[in-house]
Amino acid sequence: MANKHYAMVIDLNTCVGCNACMAACAIENQTPVWKNEWRTYVHDTEIGDRDDQVRRRFFPRLCNHCDNPACMTVCPTGATHKLDNGIVLVNDERCMGCRACAMACPYDARYDVTYADIEEGTNFYGSLQRKHPSVDKCSFCAHLVAKGEKPACVKTCVGSARLFGDLNNPNDEVAKIVASGVAKSLLPHVGTRGNVYYISDLERTS
Amino acid sequence: MKNVTFCVIKGSSPLFYAGIAISIIFIALGLYSAYNMEHHGHIITGMNNQIVWGLPHVFAIFLILAASGVLNVASISSVFRKIFYHPLARLSALLAITLLIGGLCVLVLDLGRPDRLVVAMTNYNFKSIFAWNIFLYNGFLLVCILYLWFMMERRMQQYYPTVGLIAFVWRLILTTGTGSIFGFLIAREAYHTAIMPPLFIALSLSLGLAVFLIALLIDCRETRCSLGENILHRPKTLLGVFIAAVFYFVFVYHITHLYFTGRHGIEYFLLAGGGVFTVLFWFGYIFLGTILPLLLLYHERFTHSRSSIAFASVLTLIGGLSLLYVIIIGGQAYPLEIFPGMEVTSSAFFDGASMHSYVPSIWEILLGISGIAIAALLTVIALRLLPFMPRSLADKDIDESLT
Repeated sequence: MANKHYAMVIDLNTCVGCNACMAACAIENQTPVWKNEWRTYVHDTEIGDRDDQVRRRFFPRLCNHCDNPACMTVCPTGATHKLDNGIVLVNDERCMGCRACAMACPYDARYDVTYADIEEGTNFYGSLQRKHPSVDKCSFCAHLVAKGEKPACVKTCVGSARLFGDLNNPNDEVAKIVASGVAKSLLPHVGTRGNVYYISDLERTS
Repeated sequence: MKNVTFCVIKGSSPLFYAGIAISIIFIALGLYSAYNMEHHGHIITGMNNQIVWGLPHVFAIFLILAASGVLNVASISSVFRKIFYHPLARLSALLAITLLIGGLCVLVLDLGRPDRLVVAMTNYNFKSIFAWNIFLYNGFLLVCILYLWFMMERRMQQYYPTVGLIAFVWRLILTTGTGSIFGFLIAREAYHTAIMPPLFIALSLSLGLAVFLIALLIDCRETRCSLGENILHRPKTLLGVFIAAVFYFVFVYHITHLYFTGRHGIEYFLLAGGGVFTVLFWFGYIFLGTILPLLLLYHERFTHSRSSIAFASVLTLIGGLSLLYVIIIGGQAYPLEIFPGMEVTSSAFFDGASMHSYVPSIWEILLGISGIAIAALLTVIALRLLPFMPRSLADKDIDESLT
């Protein structure tokens, strides 16, 4: 049986900008929110030509769990690694904090977790799973996925804007959407082949 | 060739003790800065998630490039068999070692967590250019130590040219590796170009020779070593050639970007609308670091003055630092193009919307300067302990057939 190949589809039509995904992710993964650093965030962005009608768009962002991750290639210690199911993870015991991954990532998905954050996080969250600092990123909630659950942001999404599934399963809803071409990944020309796909309102067909 | 005798510096002058004291103070301040930055992270520096490598990285690259380039004097002697440079080879190799140690200290203290250095030394991802550079830097250090030993130890003289050749090739690969750190980065528009390695090689040659000339002038003053005009003339001319070579590669780098319509944005940012980066490029690098030194080195009115040579060398270093600042930090300040074809007019997360600002914190400045202080302190101690400096560099003491 083929390995799973996890991917996320985000429908920008149904994202209402409630930021529930950010909150769920922060609680699940204990991110240093007190300094405005998140594994996923929703920025409200105005997009459009100046002479055209400017549209306000909510744009959820996270690590794209690329098929060809630039951050993994540059990581000198191999702390950034890829699971067989396509999820890209950071081994915080191996991360030496050189931030090469942050330089290499074209999606701006990395942020620094420091010793001070670990101290602060212990007070903020009561107890902290993390023992080591690292240059952190979204893990697609690999610990939940391993148990057959969806990532925290997907489970909590109010408008069901975030879908999570297996691209190798042709019956999976996510695989169908991606195969249809409606959803597109960011920066395809860079060649990283991200596994977070977006459905733009301009391209919605159903 | 006439026999060249070497001596140690006396180490009794006020300049000697002042130099040591100032270096120790800056090293202590640098260590304190590193402790703070390691504990608190980016939040206390000018760096952020967009500009992840700041001023310490500029200093580290500057010192590493200078270390690689300063070995050029020894290479000319042993690889290209220009025996005229032989008396200067020891100082050249010593400076290569001390500058590299200074640069690596800054790199380790800024770029990672020193307490976890053992992780970096025991786990390697061989696809990573950073992992290659760990080998290249450590290997260069080892090769330079061997090189120095072989040139100072009479019994090892027969192997000296071989080690010299290895050191020469190694440093070319090392600087190629350093340039490739940026050349291989696809995410930032300012990088991702094959011209980075040759540009860094040329820059290393000019920075290294400038450092060498400054060190030579200071050391000769300290040891009261006679310094002939001929011994200064050739490196001085060479420095001008290296400065011109750097300018050539910088010119090609920008002209290539300007040829691609998609990179007009980053070029406009660096060359015209980038505020401090534009000023540093035109005033810091082009005027202070290129035009002025070339004028001082080649204009008939200045070319024979030692002050001009010293001043031109200092200006070359200022120009090099400015250029590295523009490349390293300016390249990150220009936002990532996450939404091609779209115009992002605002963003709460600072991405895609506007240029990122960066003001180096005092911690970064102190850490960067401490790298120079480490190199200076190690050089002075080594000069005090072992005979690296020729007793005389007067023209009459250098073989006339070689001059």
